[in-house]
Amino acid sequence: MQAADADAGGPAGGADNSLEGRGQGGCGGLCSAGTEAAVAGAAPRVPRPQHAPGPGGDALSTAGRPETRVHIFALGVPFPSHLEAEIACASLAPDREPHGGIVEKQLTVTDSVLAIRWRAENSRLLRISIINFLDQLSLVIRTMQRFGPPVSR
Amino acid sequence: MPAVLGFEGSANKIGVGVVRDGAVLANPRRTYVTPPGTGFLPGDTARHHRAVILDLLQEALTEAGLTSQDIDCIAYTKGIAGRLTIEEHTWSLARSEWPAALCYHHYTTTPAPPFTSLTFPSSVFPSVCRILTPISIPLGPGMGAPLVSVAVVARTVAQLWNKPLLGVNHCIGHIEMGRLITGATSPTVLYVSGGNTQVIAYSEHRYRIFGETIDIAVGNCLDRFARVLKISNDPSPGYNIEQMAKRGKKLVELPYTVKGMDVSFSGILSFIEDVAQRMLATGECTPEDLCFSLQETVFAMLVEITERAMAHCGSQEALIVGGVGCNLRLQEMMETMCQERGARLFATDERFCIDNGAMIAQAGWEMFRAGHRTPLSDSGITQRFRTDEVEVTWRD
Repeated sequence: MQAADADAGGPAGGADNSLEGRGQGGCGGLCSAGTEAAVAGAAPRVPRPQHAPGPGGDALSTAGRPETRVHIFALGVPFPSHLEAEIACASLAPDREPHGGIVEKQLTVTDSVLAIRWRAENSRLLRISIINFLDQLSLVIRTMQRFGPPVSR
Repeated sequence: MPAVLGFEGSANKIGVGVVRDGAVLANPRRTYVTPPGTGFLPGDTARHHRAVILDLLQEALTEAGLTSQDIDCIAYTKGIAGRLTIEEHTWSLARSEWPAALCYHHYTTTPAPPFTSLTFPSSVFPSVCRILTPISIPLGPGMGAPLVSVAVVARTVAQLWNKPLLGVNHCIGHIEMGRLITGATSPTVLYVSGGNTQVIAYSEHRYRIFGETIDIAVGNCLDRFARVLKISNDPSPGYNIEQMAKRGKKLVELPYTVKGMDVSFSGILSFIEDVAQRMLATGECTPEDLCFSLQETVFAMLVEITERAMAHCGSQEALIVGGVGCNLRLQEMMETMCQERGARLFATDERFCIDNGAMIAQAGWEMFRAGHRTPLSDSGITQRFRTDEVEVTWRD
């Protein structure tokens, strides 16, 4: 099993400044395998919106305040089996993000890949959420390595 | 004969315990100790817990002589108590169906509401005068990151081993372990720790909160005072304050803030922090005197509100749980009060009054046998989980 913390960028992830619609299929505790291909796909790049310069400034310095842009981060974590991906998903999904709904994240499982998709306007809180998630994910993986494999159902 | 595995890590102690039919088969624990003058922060605490939890789990299974398949249920701390808004306070009292003789006042400068009926001055009559204070919900207690770190492991092993999961209220864990170890039948419980201060009694399938702190917990007050004096946090600041207090000779007068059934500690803390600067500089008193004075004051307050609840319930048993319950001076003062009332005092030793995994396992054992289960989708940790929210179906 690949260590998720080493391959955090994985097959996909990338920050993207474009506005996107909400991702599909949350993990509500029990993850269902989705058929959507959006899982680990990089979002299409769009050109940055142009802004008119403010008084005394040029276009770059006033190219939108960071707090008003929506940031999307997508991460795909491969597991040895579909069941293990589901177990990880169900372990990591139930706890809500702090600070109300400033950072949203959704977990889905497709085949044996756990996909997590973050959406936030605040880049600092987004970064914190991702780092915390990776710490908890690492713990889940270590637990599975040490006390797994899952018993047969 | 169910065997239950319990995980606890809501503060700086992380423990994993195994309980089967009233026997504690294993209860290993580690404490995250920070340097003198500092407290523990959620991120660092969670990091500590994540580093040791799997070793603790293995230790617990080995010590209990069990394999994963011998475990019947996985219990973990889902949340610990929080403080009420005034509306919830009123509702909670209404739910507990107290006699109509209780009256309510706003304990501020606002005039008493017009419906005031009978008033019992609390110092004269043993009957209760419950005073509500307008307060708002704070963002805790319970630290998110440590709670989550422990919960994810519990969920993972529950799924790996295909066992049912049970989210346990931390305070109820303390109470159930206290009842198991001491054999107390239906005590008035004083739950005192770094994160909580509540007086609780069981009535009609709920652990009802009779009185509590309106701001910080007594243990929090002691811990933060220890930081001001740079007292060591090893093994715990409260323990070191207790040792220093034994050498104190002078009683420094501190504010005494009992408000009806409730207590308040933040004022005492600011006062003593201020006094400490001044009096230590002039040599008017020693740090030992301050430790002694703080303990005497806050413990007397706790004894008063416990006694008030015991009088209200006609209770002949008192049980102290929570980390501050290890304090022998507190136990001594409670014992004096109990003897005066002809009641019995129960307390546990540091294995069980300090946060531990077996207490979660024990509460889990009771809940499991009563048919409680926590579906994974509902298993998220919560930083507001009142003691009286749980339906105690395992007692009559």
